[in-house]
Amino acid sequence: MKFAASDIHISIAAEPLFEVFGFPVTNALLTGVIGTIITVAVLAGVAGRIKRGRYNRFVGLIQWVFEGLIKSIHDIIPDKQMARKITPLAVTIFFFVLFNYWLSIMPGIDSIRIGDVPVFRSLVADLNFTLGLAIITIITVQIYAVRHLGVFSNASRYFRNPLKDPVGAFEGILELLGEFSRGVALSLRLFGNAFAGEVLLVVIAFLTGYMAAVTLPIFMAFELFIGFIQAYVFFVLTLIFTALAVAHHGPSKDPSDDHSPAAIAPKPVPARK
Amino acid sequence: MTFIRQFAAETAEAEAGLFGALGIDLRLLILQIIAFLILVFLLGKFVYPWLMKQVDERQANIEAAAEAASLAQKSAAESQEQTAHLLAKARKEAAEIVRTAKLESAEIMSSSEKKAKKSAERIVADAHEQIDKDIALAKKELHNHTIDLIALATEKVTSGALNGKIDNERIAKALKESQ
Repeated sequence: MKFAASDIHISIAAEPLFEVFGFPVTNALLTGVIGTIITVAVLAGVAGRIKRGRYNRFVGLIQWVFEGLIKSIHDIIPDKQMARKITPLAVTIFFFVLFNYWLSIMPGIDSIRIGDVPVFRSLVADLNFTLGLAIITIITVQIYAVRHLGVFSNASRYFRNPLKDPVGAFEGILELLGEFSRGVALSLRLFGNAFAGEVLLVVIAFLTGYMAAVTLPIFMAFELFIGFIQAYVFFVLTLIFTALAVAHHGPSKDPSDDHSPAAIAPKPVPARK
Repeated sequence: MTFIRQFAAETAEAEAGLFGALGIDLRLLILQIIAFLILVFLLGKFVYPWLMKQVDERQANIEAAAEAASLAQKSAAESQEQTAHLLAKARKEAAEIVRTAKLESAEIMSSSEKKAKKSAERIVADAHEQIDKDIALAKKELHNHTIDLIALATEKVTSGALNGKIDNERIAKALKESQ
């Protein structure tokens, strides 16, 4: 075990520390357990205090954030029932990603090692987690779309008869590719930011040497901000994908719904007689 | 893609394939998905209801306050309208009262003026009458005094020399002259 960042150690993949019944326990998984404990402790602690009617500033802060998230959910998803159903997933994504991202600035990340393997690595810097989160989001969106539109109506978003509607069929293929790319983009965005953040801190610590005590806090504060942004982006994108999926209604026959340039162009004013 | 593969291969060394090089392990992926879903379930079951309850209560309070404010505003508008109506009515009544008062005062003034004039005329007439009476009385008294004086003077001048006939003639003459 080493306690100093004597050399730069960068690995895209989370590295296994030990095995439990043949199952590899990675450094990201270990940090993820800490992140999960913090998330549960904070949220359950706040809920318990609210239950007992014992408020303090921290409870007020979490309540304030929670209310902000609820407001965002209702702004993006107008259907109140659906908004309430998606709330646990969306809010958990926000808090879990936030706390795990913030763990990337925890002292000891990369510096405490077993052999050459860092003991701690932020869970959001592990592609397994971000990909898993993206898969959960995309599957949840599909579940809500099927519930809201029906199986066939939802399938008609992607699969259309190319003989009857060739443009629509092509659009469907694009939509299908879009769903796939949304998932990949969700996972890679979060992973890329978190991984780059960790690498940045390691590089800054390595480059500045003993001055790291002065330079690192600036970058750490920056990482805290980026962590908040990334958590909020993932949260909002989950909601937007859900709202888009349930709002899809296929090609419209309503002339008032025509958004073509010809339809939205200003009408000529009739000449006065 | 080639760049990622090369970079990943350099760092992950022995891992085979792109997914392996990126550290994607199917077992870890499934484990983390299940763990996260359990976390969502537990938080959704035991934690968020309390936070949601708080938000709902606050929302209900805000809605109730907004409704109360709306009612108060409506009530204020109604009372304002009522006040305006009452004020208009009061102004109208006041104007009516003032107009009636002016009319009545004019009538009273006119009536009292007439009364005063009548009374003054009566007083003047009474005074004239009284004066006339006094004058007549004074004249009569003066006449009597004069007669007495004349009689007395005559008696003094002609005392004993004249008889009654002459007296009477002189008296009558004197009276005639005096008149």
